[in-house]
Amino acid sequence: MISRKAAEIGLASVTALFGAVIAYGATEFGVGWAPSGPEPGTFPFYIGLIVLVASLANMVAALVAGDGTPLLERSHLKDVARFVVPMIGFVILALLLGIYVATFVYLLGTMRVQGRYGWGRSIAVSLGLPLGLYALMEKAFQVPLLKGPLEALIGL
Amino acid sequence: MDNLASLFHGFSVALSFHHIFLMLVGILLGILVGVLPGLGAPNGVSLLLPLTFTMDPVAAIILLTSMYWGALFGGSTTSILFNIPGEPSSVATTFDGYPLAQKGKATEALSYAFLSAGFGALVGVIVITLLSGVVQKFALRFSAPEYFAVYFLAFCSFIGLGGAPVLKTVVSIGCGFALAAVGMDSVSGSLRLTFEFDALLAGISFLVVVIGLFGIGELILTVEEGLQLKGIEARVRPSDVLRTMAMMPRHWATLLRSALVGCWMGITPGGPTAASFMSYGLARRFSKYRQGFGKGEPDGIIAPETADHSAGTAAMLPMLALGIPGSATAAVMLGGLMIWGLNPGPMLFVERPDFVWGLIASMYLGNVIGVILVLATVPMFASILRIPFAIIGPAIVVICFVGAYTVGSRPFDLWVALGFGFVGYLFKKLNYPIAPLILAMVIGDKAEDAFRQSLIMSKGALSVFWSNALVGTLMALALLLLVWPVVARVLFGGGRSSAP
Repeated sequence: MISRKAAEIGLASVTALFGAVIAYGATEFGVGWAPSGPEPGTFPFYIGLIVLVASLANMVAALVAGDGTPLLERSHLKDVARFVVPMIGFVILALLLGIYVATFVYLLGTMRVQGRYGWGRSIAVSLGLPLGLYALMEKAFQVPLLKGPLEALIGL
Repeated sequence: MDNLASLFHGFSVALSFHHIFLMLVGILLGILVGVLPGLGAPNGVSLLLPLTFTMDPVAAIILLTSMYWGALFGGSTTSILFNIPGEPSSVATTFDGYPLAQKGKATEALSYAFLSAGFGALVGVIVITLLSGVVQKFALRFSAPEYFAVYFLAFCSFIGLGGAPVLKTVVSIGCGFALAAVGMDSVSGSLRLTFEFDALLAGISFLVVVIGLFGIGELILTVEEGLQLKGIEARVRPSDVLRTMAMMPRHWATLLRSALVGCWMGITPGGPTAASFMSYGLARRFSKYRQGFGKGEPDGIIAPETADHSAGTAAMLPMLALGIPGSATAAVMLGGLMIWGLNPGPMLFVERPDFVWGLIASMYLGNVIGVILVLATVPMFASILRIPFAIIGPAIVVICFVGAYTVGSRPFDLWVALGFGFVGYLFKKLNYPIAPLILAMVIGDKAEDAFRQSLIMSKGALSVFWSNALVGTLMALALLLLVWPVVARVLFGGGRSSAP
């Protein structure tokens, strides 16, 4: 299992890397003084440095005094995975097939497999939400959502 | 008396059928997002904001602020009935609210919470009404260095008073500034930090980040903690409400103290969460009834609730008068103001008095309507929480991603929301504060502009931030807050925290 200490160090390395990337990226635009004032990279450069230094300090603090208890218990990890994996699937599906179709598949899947609901109720809810969203977004607020090949097929 | 005349003008703006209708809709939607796990006030306002782009700004801000009040009420409801804080700022309400409800006094607990919340909010609005004129006149004297000093003060108070580990707060703020810098530089017009990715050309929207951090991140956390709804029946009996109302004056000391704590923490951006914890901590120390704390003592409900709501409302003052949001939700609304084409800051009072005073008047009305509405609808909203998570969880996921897409109609934003969902989860697990990141993202560009303009004025000398009494005082105050955690440790010894 990942310990809290390892997670602290891991997150601090990620934020340190982020700070370094920002500071490095900022150097491209100049970080000094130009006749018109500070160059565009100056502010992000120092922000990046501050993030980098603070992250390194967090990392040291975790190395010295981090606690070794697990960040997540195994049973909780399973719960989280059961929630997160379908969610990632939903995002990929939404990008491929559009949000409406992805919503239908995602809700049907989670209700049938995880909620163990019968077909009737599962289909009713998983059809109801995208239809409700369609009425609310496209009709009432006129905000179009991401659509895919299926909507194109039926001419929406 | 200027303010009073302006306030009456504000009431004439706010009291239209359309605006009161929006108020009702906003409060009900707010209670809904406050009650639902994973959806809180900042996230709810972010989800609704893209739908207001085409609305009139006065109507839009009334809708969004009403949603905020509703969400604050909704958050306390779940704290009391289910021991699940619907909002981070209602965590402290669980300490005494849930035990009191367990004793079979759910109506009393809810009434104490809502009535003191209403009281706190009213004090907050009165403070805004009285102070906004002063703050605005004061702020009209500001130029770039003063603005930067005020922004700096805001962030230093987060570091000093926020209660989270100092260096983690610094990382959170820094990340927010860095994210704000991606895309077009508003001074030179050059594109920065896009690293050749086309998707980053338009920058990263703070709304999508809020939906990820607060929405998705919170949901993952809810799943991990295992949502167990051992709810208490939520029938509201009018006679109990009236009896509680009659008891309220006995708690005047706690009410006043908490409202003051709340106003202070709302105006200096400590935020409602810090305010509610601090107020609970103070009440536990100074209350007449302190021996009953943790076992269902009304004072232990009144203290955090009053502070929570007065901080929430008072946070609107620096947002309107200075362009500095006092809470994450205020930060999202501030972003909204800019999207609607308004320029938050002292000039807003001069340019759009109808907007400012209409909003302030709507805050009086919204909170009174809110208390009544929430008492009337609690049973209905409590029953929503009994819908199994296998249905409600995925439905909230869908709504979050729909919200992320509507911000800019960019498919890439779905990935951004998902990514920040994981970031938000880890940040919460490891005690990194999230609100400062949002604040930094929203006012990042303005703070940077103020910084650069100051340096242009002074030809690069940092002494410009000490060049007159006003800016010097602000900077000194900021630095004092920055080192406050160290000073407090020396003065009071040990690392006391106000939370139990």
